[in-house]
Amino acid sequence: MAGQDVVLSVQDLSIDYLTRRGRLQAVSHVSFDLHRGETLALIGESGCGKSTLNFGLMRLLPKTARTEAGKIVYTDRQNRSINILELNPRALRRFRWSECAMVFQGAQNSLNPVIHVRDMIFDTARAHGMNNRNEVRQRALELFRKVRLDPDRVFNAYPHELSGGMRQRVLIALGLLLNPQVVIFDEPTTALDILTQRSILNVLRDLKEELGFSSIFISHDLAVAAEIADTVATMYAGEIVEMGPVNDIFYEPRHAYTLGLMEASPRLSVGREELEGIPGSPPDLVEPPTGCKFHIRCPLAIESCKTTPPQLERVGAGHIVACYKSNEVLEKGKALRALPATHLS
Amino acid sequence: MGAVPLPVSMSKNMGLWSQVKKVLGGVYKSYTFRVTIQGFLTLWVVTTCTFYMIRKMPNNPIQVKIEEFQTKQNLPYEEARAKVAGLYDYDPDAPFIEQYMDYMGDLAHGNLGKSITTGRTPVSQQITKYLPWTLFAVGMGLLISFVMGVLAGAAMAYWRGSVFDNVMTAFASISYGIPDFVIAFMILLIGGIQLEIFKVGDYIGGVDPQLKAGFNPDYIQSLFKHALLPVTTYVLASVGGWMLTMKSSTISTLGEDYITVAHARGLSQRRILFGYVGRNAMLPLMTRLAISVGFILSGSIIIETIFIYPGLGKYLFEMIGRRDYTTIQGIFLVTSAAVVVSNILADLLFGVLDPRVRVGGK
Repeated sequence: MAGQDVVLSVQDLSIDYLTRRGRLQAVSHVSFDLHRGETLALIGESGCGKSTLNFGLMRLLPKTARTEAGKIVYTDRQNRSINILELNPRALRRFRWSECAMVFQGAQNSLNPVIHVRDMIFDTARAHGMNNRNEVRQRALELFRKVRLDPDRVFNAYPHELSGGMRQRVLIALGLLLNPQVVIFDEPTTALDILTQRSILNVLRDLKEELGFSSIFISHDLAVAAEIADTVATMYAGEIVEMGPVNDIFYEPRHAYTLGLMEASPRLSVGREELEGIPGSPPDLVEPPTGCKFHIRCPLAIESCKTTPPQLERVGAGHIVACYKSNEVLEKGKALRALPATHLS
Repeated sequence: MGAVPLPVSMSKNMGLWSQVKKVLGGVYKSYTFRVTIQGFLTLWVVTTCTFYMIRKMPNNPIQVKIEEFQTKQNLPYEEARAKVAGLYDYDPDAPFIEQYMDYMGDLAHGNLGKSITTGRTPVSQQITKYLPWTLFAVGMGLLISFVMGVLAGAAMAYWRGSVFDNVMTAFASISYGIPDFVIAFMILLIGGIQLEIFKVGDYIGGVDPQLKAGFNPDYIQSLFKHALLPVTTYVLASVGGWMLTMKSSTISTLGEDYITVAHARGLSQRRILFGYVGRNAMLPLMTRLAISVGFILSGSIIIETIFIYPGLGKYLFEMIGRRDYTTIQGIFLVTSAAVVVSNILADLLFGVLDPRVRVGGK
């Protein structure tokens, strides 16, 4: 097992959905370690299993989901290791939010529309044994101030009286209420306009610095991920295909899919006509392709990609990749970057 | 923009007028005022329509009584007519508009008029005589039906797809589909006559006539015993609707993001079920409940008639047969007033339960 400062260690986790057509392998054999204070960004297109993975971490999956294999080991503040998959319902309920909280996408629907924000705060606190309302109130007001909300107004408001950006901040504050070690952000800026996104990201960065929680940040927006993350993991068809420090991933991508994502996202310095999409669409996860799941869409695919799935290999400090052509990808990426003024900003 | 010069006196007038307009507008904007006006308008329209329509039904109270005398006492037409004329204080040949103005005049004084066919007793007195029975039986039926339907519907949604859900959904669909009078007859025929589980004679009517009315256990027990069949019928006929509505409402609530978030927040199952799922899922049912509460007053005409239960519904049925115009109008008016009032209450209550639709901002 990894070093002392690992808060959350996911080991060989697989999650299937039972569907009419058969088993859908939404997450397969995912492993990663989340360190104290680290922000891990999970990037990938819709349907690649990012959200399933995160719901799986909190065991919030629908009844049709099966966690087939693997371990999720959480290390609490007293350095005790807990396997989340083995928690009984009572312990699981305690674990949720006080140890690991989640900020969902679509803040408009994440708050109960018919009760006050303050009651949601009190509910959450009471569920975890904090019965001193005054204390809870002070804590909530302080958090609201930290996420740059007008504390008293928001505390006594109904969700519909707040704007989308304000609700997202309320959710962030609510997520930090019990001072969790891990916070999962599931595309927290997706439903917001660009200016609100900006300010939410600033708030998040400040909070992280101040409170020192670890976080998993799901996004399909590479710019957002680049800005907030320490480590980036690329997911494709339920697998982590590449993971490494943020600069390595963005400047020296080693997987053809990661490179494809880079080429497909707009940069200030590159004209629109030069953006290239990834051909095809994500594979069917009920009957996944043999070999590397990306080979059908991969411009660099060779014969062995079609038959034998590549294993994750270490290519740099903390940088792992599952691609036979990782050197060619690196060269191709460098060639692209060598074009005048095409750096990622 | 150039200012249009106004004569001094006119601009002063405008100021006054705009003041008045502001006050009137404020009054109109006040929710209570608007709702009251709308309520009275509704009642007026209902009253006028029933007034007109019941007089357009074939026959009139005089004619009905004449025919009754003719068939029952074998009187010749002329003689029967003379007898009825002495009996009833009603002239069917009076111009419609005159009758209407008279009636509205009485109403304006809060007077529902006198019954035509029952010895000129005031209609309000008749209504207060029969209303308690209906309030007791139908009110109890509605309460039981609503509570059971909501609980069962929520449980069905929570365990959807289970055997429980399938059985209950089938039951609810049957309950929803069979009319109340069929259920009433089935209870009487199967339970009372074929299987002889109970003696029909013991259960029909309002209360055992031999008992002295009062607050004693025997009398109260008899009241409940006689209400049993009408209440059971009412519940069986209406619970399915509540179950199905609550089930679909709960299913859509369970799928909401804030329920997942509530689980993620580690809230207890109980708090989520009652505070988050139940309460939100019940909101769409409140309007329906309000309308049902309003209609309690008109009773359940057919059920009351079948079980000879002395409520307002059975009385209305009899009075329609006799074409007792004033009584019919009176009952309709009271019923519509109840529906209007309970709807207003529902609006206010809805605002309490759901802040998003709260009127007037606060």
